[in-house]
Amino acid sequence: MVKSVFLSLFFLISSLHANIYEDNCVACHKRLPVSIDKYFYKYLLIYSGETDTKNAIINYLKVPVKETTVMSDSFISRFGVKKATKLNESQLQEAVNIYWEKYKVFGKLK
Amino acid sequence: MSASKSLDTDFLSSEKRTLFRFSVLYILLTVIIISVFSFIYYELQKDLMLQEKKSTLQEYSKKFLYDLKQLHINFDKTQVYPRYDAFDSAIFDNEKKLIFATSDTKIKLDKILYLHDEVIHLVNIPESYYLGAKYVIIKMKDDGLWLEQTRREILIFSTITFMFMLIVGYSLLRLFLKPMRDAIQLLDRFIKDTTHELNTPVSTIVTNIEMIDRDMLDEKLLKKINRIDIGAKTISNIYQDLTYLTLGNKIISNDEEVDIEHLVLERIEYFKSLASAKKVLLQMELRQNTSLFIDKGKISKLLDNLISNAVKYNKINGSIIIIVEDKKITVSDTGIGIAKEDISQMLERYTRFNKSSGGFGIGLNIVASIAKEYNLHIEIDSEEKVGTKVSVSW
Repeated sequence: MVKSVFLSLFFLISSLHANIYEDNCVACHKRLPVSIDKYFYKYLLIYSGETDTKNAIINYLKVPVKETTVMSDSFISRFGVKKATKLNESQLQEAVNIYWEKYKVFGKLK
Repeated sequence: MSASKSLDTDFLSSEKRTLFRFSVLYILLTVIIISVFSFIYYELQKDLMLQEKKSTLQEYSKKFLYDLKQLHINFDKTQVYPRYDAFDSAIFDNEKKLIFATSDTKIKLDKILYLHDEVIHLVNIPESYYLGAKYVIIKMKDDGLWLEQTRREILIFSTITFMFMLIVGYSLLRLFLKPMRDAIQLLDRFIKDTTHELNTPVSTIVTNIEMIDRDMLDEKLLKKINRIDIGAKTISNIYQDLTYLTLGNKIISNDEEVDIEHLVLERIEYFKSLASAKKVLLQMELRQNTSLFIDKGKISKLLDNLISNAVKYNKINGSIIIIVEDKKITVSDTGIGIAKEDISQMLERYTRFNKSSGGFGIGLNIVASIAKEYNLHIEIDSEEKVGTKVSVSW
């Protein structure tokens, strides 16, 4: 209960004041035809759990190469591989945590 | 009628204990063997049932995975988890954290197909982890028909096997006990025949000695007559013991109020010559006179055996004190005594601890038999090379 209240407040504040995730992730992905949540579910399809998924995203953001992408070849051919992130370790972790909380499956199924 | 039946021959208590232990062990082993086979059969039947249900569960799993995939693709539009009437499902991530389940059954993810709480579980690991689900569990209620059938079969099998093993065990027991039974029957038959042959000569000797006027005899002849008297009484005692042993249970008791002091004095007088031959002092200590409602012949036999043993196993110049008190007679001697660990076997028939003295080992068995018939309590206290004290109370 406390956790959900805290998270709601967190997202409310986040929407009012853009956070590290909004500034560094959503801002760029807005320009792409594939919405940002689709990438999340691609990761989930391969890595399943929270730890593995977050690690895979962080690793890719640090060293984005064709071999480690979860996206299809046609997607890469069309849009290419992104540039390596300029965020430091803690900023990256924070951004991925926000990303996980926003799209995770836990507690959403009815 | 066999000799054993006519003589009421029975196994000794130690043999009965051995037989009882053998029977318990045999039955226990039979039960364990049947239980092990039943368990193996149950497990096999369970596996068979699970294999039969596996194809159905795999069909359900396929259907569920298709719906889960659709939900994964359209998760931004709908979050309604697929549900079915025929089965329940649950999904876990690779950290074995529950994502969602339609029922609360406890799940083991380290097994593929198993039965728990009457629910059959199939644990599936799909190629793609839709919604992060690495473990997809399909749960189906077990109808229990196989269990009913298996229980019935196990019950029939166990009963038939148990009965068969009991028959085999009984036959084996009879086979193994035959030599022992034959030996006991032979001994009893021998005693019965010996007893019969002793009757007339013993009676003649005892009667004729009693008829001799001892005052008329010179000292030398008197000594000889006394020795004959002792020998005749010893034979007479053995004869009476053997008679009691073979016919004891068939003698009709003629119970009456017996004055114990009077009886003890009478028996002391009877054993006087026997005791004096061994220079044993035989005396009574009267603390309080008492009486007992009993067959006089039987209480005499009981006392005779206790006194006879006390004389027989006493040392030269020893003593025997018969203490008479309220509802209790105690015969104490200064004899060879007996080891503590042997005391419990003293009352068993044919048990003898000192082979140097004569006897058949039946005296104290007769004492025990009479005591049992009249609910008398026997207490034996003995110390080797010090003496033995036998108390009879009621």
